[in-house]
Order: sequence, then structure tokens, then C-alpha cells
Amino acid sequence: MALFGTQRDVSLFRHMSRELMADIITEQCAYYKYKLEETKINLYGEAAEEKFYIGPVLLNTLVERTDNVYPETDLGTDYDKEVQFSFLRDDLLGAGEDFNKFDNKGNSYTGLPGTGYGANLVPQVGDIIMYNEGYYEVHETISNQYFVGKNPDYPNNVNTINKTDGPGDLSAYGSNISIICKAHYVQADKLGLTQARFQ
Amino acid sequence: MANIPIWPGSSSFHPGDTPFGFYDKDPAFEKDADKVCTFVTRRLGYPLVEIELQAINIYAAFEEAVTVYGNELYAYKIRENYLTLEGAPTSIDIEESIVTPNLGRIIDYSEQYGAEAGTGGNVPWRKMAVPLTASVQDYDLNVLASQHGFTQSNDIEIMRVFYEAPPASALFMNSYDGFGFGLGGSVAAGIDGVGGLGGLGYGGGYLMMPLNYDMQIIQQIELNDMVRISNYSFEMHNNVLRVFPIPGSGGNIPESGSENGVGNMWVEFMLKSDRTSQSIVEAYEKIKMVSGVPYKNPKYEDINSVGRSWIFEFTLAICKEMLGYVRGKYETIPIPNAEITLNQADLIAAAREEKEALLASLRAFFDETSREKLLERRTMESNFVMEELDRVPRVIYIG
Repeated sequence: MALFGTQRDVSLFRHMSRELMADIITEQCAYYKYKLEETKINLYGEAAEEKFYIGPVLLNTLVERTDNVYPETDLGTDYDKEVQFSFLRDDLLGAGEDFNKFDNKGNSYTGLPGTGYGANLVPQVGDIIMYNEGYYEVHETISNQYFVGKNPDYPNNVNTINKTDGPGDLSAYGSNISIICKAHYVQADKLGLTQARFQ
Repeated sequence: MANIPIWPGSSSFHPGDTPFGFYDKDPAFEKDADKVCTFVTRRLGYPLVEIELQAINIYAAFEEAVTVYGNELYAYKIRENYLTLEGAPTSIDIEESIVTPNLGRIIDYSEQYGAEAGTGGNVPWRKMAVPLTASVQDYDLNVLASQHGFTQSNDIEIMRVFYEAPPASALFMNSYDGFGFGLGGSVAAGIDGVGGLGGLGYGGGYLMMPLNYDMQIIQQIELNDMVRISNYSFEMHNNVLRVFPIPGSGGNIPESGSENGVGNMWVEFMLKSDRTSQSIVEAYEKIKMVSGVPYKNPKYEDINSVGRSWIFEFTLAICKEMLGYVRGKYETIPIPNAEITLNQADLIAAAREEKEALLASLRAFFDETSREKLLERRTMESNFVMEELDRVPRVIYIG
């Protein structure tokens, strides 16, 4: 049985998150999705040669940066930086979802390039995020920020009340708010995403 | 998952968009509804920030504001005119009427004093004889009343006991004969002075005196009898009448025709039940209470710009409060990897303060236009004019 955390409330939070992330803070990154089926691997399962990516997709995000670090290696001084990208999970779901088809004003996103939501994207380890001319490889994804502690993808119990506001089970309650990607800096020439050549 | 739209930046009002629909068919209301939406949302920060309200929320606030305005206005009018309105037919078109005060209800209210004072009123006084018995001093009037048909226990309330001898002015008098009050001597007084046969006035050697002189003479005679020569008195405890002196003693003259040969006393009394029955009057289809005054909702198109301006501000305050509650349903709002606290507390506090201030100013405005205040102001203006005119040298004639 659930009383709080209906999709009506979640809709409000979505509006607020999008207002905050898109209109007030407006931090953006480009997301390159790893294309597994076209990437050739060797005997050991390693992508020793080329890697292929889909994208990029421009996303609103909240960024937490760490300081640059310069570790000493056998080859000399290296450069590293870890960045954490927090995405509104609903932004990454399908463009066909009703909350991604329409903006806050109820207008359709259709025909408004760059303003739509719904990247149809599942962040995974190995994906690349471009942020401030730097490339960062995702090495960890976290998706456990649940509103009122419920993930609507797991409606284990039949809801006995408030049936009118949803399908009658717990899928109408709670929300999986975010996907957090922890990434580290990778050199552009290792990725081959852009024409970069270092003499 | 649902997507609930919020304020999109514009609206289009249609009848039926308000909760009660009091003013939906009023063209002026329809015209203003969307303007009010724009006004409210812009005052709340749109388009710089999103407003988590829909047009129907603002329409509801607008309707409430108009209704509150009407309620305040009509409550003031009811207070102002209730003495006149009470008892009027409920079928009157009060909103299209000008009410002129009258004293009807004041007179109705004062009847209670008249009833107690024996000078009128709405409660009848009844009268019964108390037959005196020789050597019996106490008489239970409750028992006597039940014998007269007033069977409800403890229902009578004695208002007056006739215990004195006939008025002195009806007797033959010696002391005050003479000019203006009789011809002279007891016989003359009996004929035409203050005696029993004639009235006041004519005397053989009559000298016209002022009327207050005659009145003083009469009062002096009455008081003389009461203080110097009266031997009649009574006590009353719990409707038991104790008479003095004991009947049949002290030379009482038996009243001819009385059953016991001693005489009757008379009492006037009121029934307590009459007070209630006369005070409560069933009045169907009449205005009996303030909630029965047939005011309806105001006509929005008849409200002037002063009133509409107040309504807009009150709508804004309601919307601000509403927005505060929307933003404050949860203390913190989850965003990716963090939580934020919105300005709900500020919104609600500001909205309450504004609503109270608006209501106070509206009531003060209405009070300033009350009949009492208008007359007071007119008097003040008149006084000020007179003061100013007093400064003008007297030689100048102002006509």
C-alpha cells in the first residue's frame, strides 16, 4: 500500500529538475554511447583496435569536478582528472515517453531541435562523455536514488488504494531519479573520436 | 508515468473552468480571467522561473477572490442594515435595493421594557381579585391563580398589588382647598376641587395657576397620605402575599358585596410563559438571521476598478499561497544526486500576510463608508467649515 510519491508528484519533481538543470544551471555534456557490436575484440575480449561509438547526444547534467592530478609514471608526468556526471534518468529514457514528448508547457518537442528529451540511452561502463573539450570514460554507473524509497520498475505488490491514479500497483509510486556516471579523463587520440594527432 | 503540465505561458478561459462557476457567464469575468493569469504568473516570476500552477488553479483563485470581495461587501451591508432588514420578506431583490433605515425593530426591541414597566409592550398583564378573609394575613397567589385557570406551576409573576386606599385626590380634603384647588372647605373640595365629584380645575373663587403648580399639589397630597397616614402595606415572598394590617382588624371597613365581608385586594400579574410565547414569532419567508438576507454572489461586471484591483491582488495572494503549498508538499525536492529546498515557507508567509492586509484594508474601507462614519465625517467637515468661516472678519457678509 502506498500513499505518497505518486506520479503526479514525480511529474512536479521532473519539471523542477529540468528547470534547474536546463534553465538555471545549464551544464551540458556530449555523451558517446559505446557501440559494442561494431567493436572488434581480440582473443582476450579486449578492444585492442578501433572502438565505435554512437552519438554524441547533448545532455543536461550536474557535474562534480575533482582537481587535476599529475601522477608520475615510467613515461613521465601524466595527467588525470575524475568527473562525476549526474543525469536525470527520465531525460535518458525513450523519446516516446509522454514526459519526454512534451515540454513543461504541454507543447510537443517535435520540430524543436535541441530542446527535446528522451535520449533512449542506457549509460554503461566504457561510454565516453565529452565535457569542456575533454573526454572522460565512464568507469562506474550508479542508479539508486529512489524517491520515497521506491523504484517503480519493481512493483512487487498490488496496491490496494489510490488505484485511480495509476495502474493499481506500485509502478505508479516512487521514482528512480538519477543515473550517476563516474568517469576519468582519457586522451582524445586514444579514442579516435576526433581527428587529433600529436607530434 | 504521467506528465502533468504546468503554466505554459498563456491560457484560454472557458465557462466551466472554475470550481463553482459563479461568474463563468459574466463577460467581464471571462475577459479578465486570462489577464489575471498573466498578471499572477508574471508577478510570481514567469517567464524567468517556472510557475508550478495551471490556469485552472488561477481561475479558482480568481473566483474565490471575487467571492470573498462580495462576501465582505455584503457582510458589511448586512451589518449596516440588519435592524431594518430583519423581518423583511426574503423575496426582496436586495442587491438592487437601497435600504433606508427605520425604527420598526427598535420599537419592537423596546416593547420588552414597556411590558415590564406596565406602559405597553407585547406581554399582556392579567388581573385577579384576592378575596381577603378576616384574620388571614397570608395568601398564596399561585393557588389562587390556578383557581383562575392559570394552571401552569410557578408561571405567574406579580407586577402590581393594589393595596392602598383610593387616591387622595379622589377624597374629600381639607388641607389644600382654596384658590385653584377647590372652593374652600372639605365640601367644596368634594364638589369641584380635587374631590371625587369634580375634576381638577374649576372653583368658585378660581385663580388660574400654572399647571405644574397643580401637579405639585397632587403629588404632595399623595406623598402625604403615603408617609403620614397610610396603614396599608404588603410583603411578597415566593408569590405569597402578606397583607398589613391583618384583614378584619384595625377598623377595616368591610367591602360591601364581598363574599367574606372583609373585601378584595387586586393584583396584576404577567405569565412567564407569555413572555416566551410573545417573544418568539414564527416568520416564514422572512429574514430571520444574517444568513437569511438574500444576497447572492456579486455581479463581477458591476464591480468598479477599485474593487477589481483588490480582487487581482487577492488572487495573487491566494496563488502565492497555493504555489507555496505545491512547492512545500515535500520539504526537499530530489534532483539528480542531490536535494533542494524551495521557497515554500517564504511564499506561504508572504501570502498570509498579504491576505490579512488586504482584508484589513477592505474592511477599513467599508467601515469608512458606513452610515455612521459618513455622518461623522460630514459633521467634521461642517465644523471645519464653520471654524474657517470664523476666521473671516465679521464685517464681511456671507450670505
